[in-house]
Amino acid sequence: MSSPALPLCAWFADRARHVVSSGFVSLALAVGAIALSAAAAQAQSVKVDHAEAELVSATAAIVPGQPLPAGLRIKHDPHWHTYWQVPGDSGLPTTIKWTLPPGWTAGPIEWPVPQRFPVGPLMNFGYDGEVLLPVTLTPPTGLAVGDSVAISARADWLICADVCIPGGADLKLTLPVSASAGTSKHAALFAATRQQIPQKVTLDGASATLEDTRIRLAFAPRSSPAEVVFFPLQEARVEPAAAQVLRAEDGKAALYLTAAQPVAPDFKALAGVLVVDGGPARADRGGWAGVIEVPLMAGTVASVGGSAATAVTYADGAQSVSVGLLGALIGAFIGGLILNLMPCVFPVLSLKLLSLLQHQRANDAAQVRHASLARHGWAFAAGVVLSFVLLAGLLVALRAGGAQLGWGFQLQTPWVVAALSTLFFVIGLNLLGAFEFSFGGGLASSHLANRLQSERVTGSFWTGVLAVIVAAPCTAPFMGAALGFAATQPAPVALGVFAVLGLGMATPYLLLTLFPALLARLPRPGAWMERFKQIMAFPMFATVVWLLWVLAQQVDANSIGLALAALVLVGMAAWALGLSQRGARGFRWVALGTAGLAMYAVLAATGTDASAAPESRAGGKSVTQGWTAWSKAENERLVAAGTPVFVDFTAAWCVTCQANKQLVLNKAAVNRAFEAKGVTRMRADWTNRDEEITRELARFKRNGVPLYVLYDSKGQVRVLPELLTEGAVLEALRAL
Amino acid sequence: MTMRTNTLRSLRNLLAAAAIGLAAVGAQAQPAPGQSAPAFALTAIDGKPVNLSDFRGRYVVLEWNNPHCPFVVKHYGSGNMQSLQKRFTADNVAWLTINSTNSNHGEYMAPAALGKWMQEQGASPTAVMLDADGKVGRAYGARTTPHMYVIDPKGALVYAGAIDDKRSANAADVKTAQNYVVQALTELKAGKPVSAASTTAYGCSIKY
Repeated sequence: MSSPALPLCAWFADRARHVVSSGFVSLALAVGAIALSAAAAQAQSVKVDHAEAELVSATAAIVPGQPLPAGLRIKHDPHWHTYWQVPGDSGLPTTIKWTLPPGWTAGPIEWPVPQRFPVGPLMNFGYDGEVLLPVTLTPPTGLAVGDSVAISARADWLICADVCIPGGADLKLTLPVSASAGTSKHAALFAATRQQIPQKVTLDGASATLEDTRIRLAFAPRSSPAEVVFFPLQEARVEPAAAQVLRAEDGKAALYLTAAQPVAPDFKALAGVLVVDGGPARADRGGWAGVIEVPLMAGTVASVGGSAATAVTYADGAQSVSVGLLGALIGAFIGGLILNLMPCVFPVLSLKLLSLLQHQRANDAAQVRHASLARHGWAFAAGVVLSFVLLAGLLVALRAGGAQLGWGFQLQTPWVVAALSTLFFVIGLNLLGAFEFSFGGGLASSHLANRLQSERVTGSFWTGVLAVIVAAPCTAPFMGAALGFAATQPAPVALGVFAVLGLGMATPYLLLTLFPALLARLPRPGAWMERFKQIMAFPMFATVVWLLWVLAQQVDANSIGLALAALVLVGMAAWALGLSQRGARGFRWVALGTAGLAMYAVLAATGTDASAAPESRAGGKSVTQGWTAWSKAENERLVAAGTPVFVDFTAAWCVTCQANKQLVLNKAAVNRAFEAKGVTRMRADWTNRDEEITRELARFKRNGVPLYVLYDSKGQVRVLPELLTEGAVLEALRAL
Repeated sequence: MTMRTNTLRSLRNLLAAAAIGLAAVGAQAQPAPGQSAPAFALTAIDGKPVNLSDFRGRYVVLEWNNPHCPFVVKHYGSGNMQSLQKRFTADNVAWLTINSTNSNHGEYMAPAALGKWMQEQGASPTAVMLDADGKVGRAYGARTTPHMYVIDPKGALVYAGAIDDKRSANAADVKTAQNYVVQALTELKAGKPVSAASTTAYGCSIKY
């Protein structure tokens, strides 16, 4: 061996010594670490059927003489839930059976504020996502620092999605005893849950009254609450699924609940958890929760609107608005008033006005005033109200017959749309002066005047009917819930609501005829009337354009061509009729011939609706970029997969829907928000009759469009208002 | 209060009552023990019609079941439900098993499938009926499976609620539990009033 190798060997030996000694150190450290961790908190989480359960503590160690904040942590799979101490209509509360070392005691479960889980017409109370059920464990005296304590528990629960699986696990938690508690990795969860545990509160000025099955809980709130939910702490006392109606009464908040039948004779106090304005989770909004116990007295409790099935309709918890009868009637009346302003009614309104003015002129000439005017007003009102009632009657009869029809069905059949477009075109031509319906100005003979008047009364009646035919599909905001309500009610109620709707619509015209003083304020007849009459032709033509646009969604291009050709023929017929009226009698036949051809063209245009419709709906006509065509199966699949879904129930003939689309849904900011949240946008096009969509609308207690539904990733539903604003949609998306 | 305000008040209440009466369509107005049991007409899984009125003069037990529910499996798996059915049908009690699962729900069982399951379990009720639109379930206010009702020979409901007092899905609890149906029928046959006429039913929710 050469001598230079010796220093090398030495170097190696030196290195080796380092490695070995550092190796020993590392080994020692490793052993030490293992030993320490053995003494440190030891718990395993157990995964059982859609739940991950674990015994946890807020601190890393037990301090002698101090209680240990422990608890059961359950992490649910999405869409699964377990139950609160009072589970509701069904279910079982989670239980913990402790096996503690001698001297230890366990307190009860400190239940955080639960959530409501609707299941069809039933209601359960429980938790989903991640929940901690805290339990305070009290150690005995005489624990020595350095000891290690093993705590066991058997946890049993019932976990459900739409099926139920009883679950349970044997859990263990081992903690060292130390002078300082330290914090565990679950400390944040404990802190957050502490906020959610409701404490006993005494409500100011609280009173609870029971009459029959109605309970009224009243109290003086610190600030007027927007939302109050009551979770009963007693079984079988308060109906879990019944509507809880909140009212402001004499400066107090009054919550109306339903008692469970049979009412137990020992039901002497109302005990439960009151959650106000979203509870502690929404403390930023002033939300809070508390445990209350209010003595229950017998007394008078008013019945409030809101049927018991308000909270849910079907399995995935669609919340819908249920309106009491009085509320529906008022809403119907206001809806009827508003209908007068809708673009599809306004042209007919102008028609009404014209006939009013003409009538006034006729009366001026014939010296007959108020009586017949009022009669016309009533005739118009009668026409409107009876048409609504007739339509309602048809709806009721068809509903009884099992047909899945909804309001607005008239504009779902293409031939009706085409026929209406020709009708409005004809009216427009008449207004422009192509021909005359009536005998116009100069009413010299009283015979003519009488005839005109008698004609006019029935004319007013039919004007009323016409106004209804076109107004029906324009579902105004107030009408939505009222219609949905009426569709689920027995016949007399439905007819009543619709009749009041008609009354609301007829009222302005009626008022004008009943108080002719208002009419007298109108300017005297003159040349301006002719101009006014002619100008009114243009809203008519605008309505024709709208109707043809609707028709374009329902049939193909060739059919549209035929419909337009029909209009040309109608124009020719009108011109010919005008000529014949002014003396050239021969043109009568031209008028008749072209009118017949026009009718044929309309029928030909709309004959292929059945085959064309599904194509136009699903194909791409009603689908714009970013939106997919809605189908129930796809909707359910997306919701089950946890994808947020936004469904837009719309129709081409629904003006409110189109306005919402233009003003809100097509806006860049809104679309960006949809994309940012990963929301799948689906469009349910109800332009043509569609049973699946009709059934889906009925699920939300609606009978017409628009309807906007947002599903979050947990499958919970939120219905947006009928009149959308950008702010409302963005806020709803932010809350996802 | 003056006469006028009284009248107005009663009028308002009358209107409100009419309103709530009309609006109570969706309300679960379940019958309480002591009231007459709602009539129903269903079709048994073998196709024969079954009316509640057919059993006038006999005691009737209504059992809401759903083979997919662990609580129902608790009572069938342990043989408890079958033994009750055998015991009481031998005593001229009409035992009617009703399944109100909605036909669109994943747990829905067609008549043939339900019949097969009942046969495999060795069950022997008087009749098994499907109430897929949930009308009868709702009329009785049935919420869970199982949910038990006992009707006396005159058609009055005498018991409504849980099958026994051990609210769990553990089959071992059946032996130690107090069975409310047995208790009610035993007391009635002895001419005594039913001591526990109404209890809170436990189980899975009915899939309406």
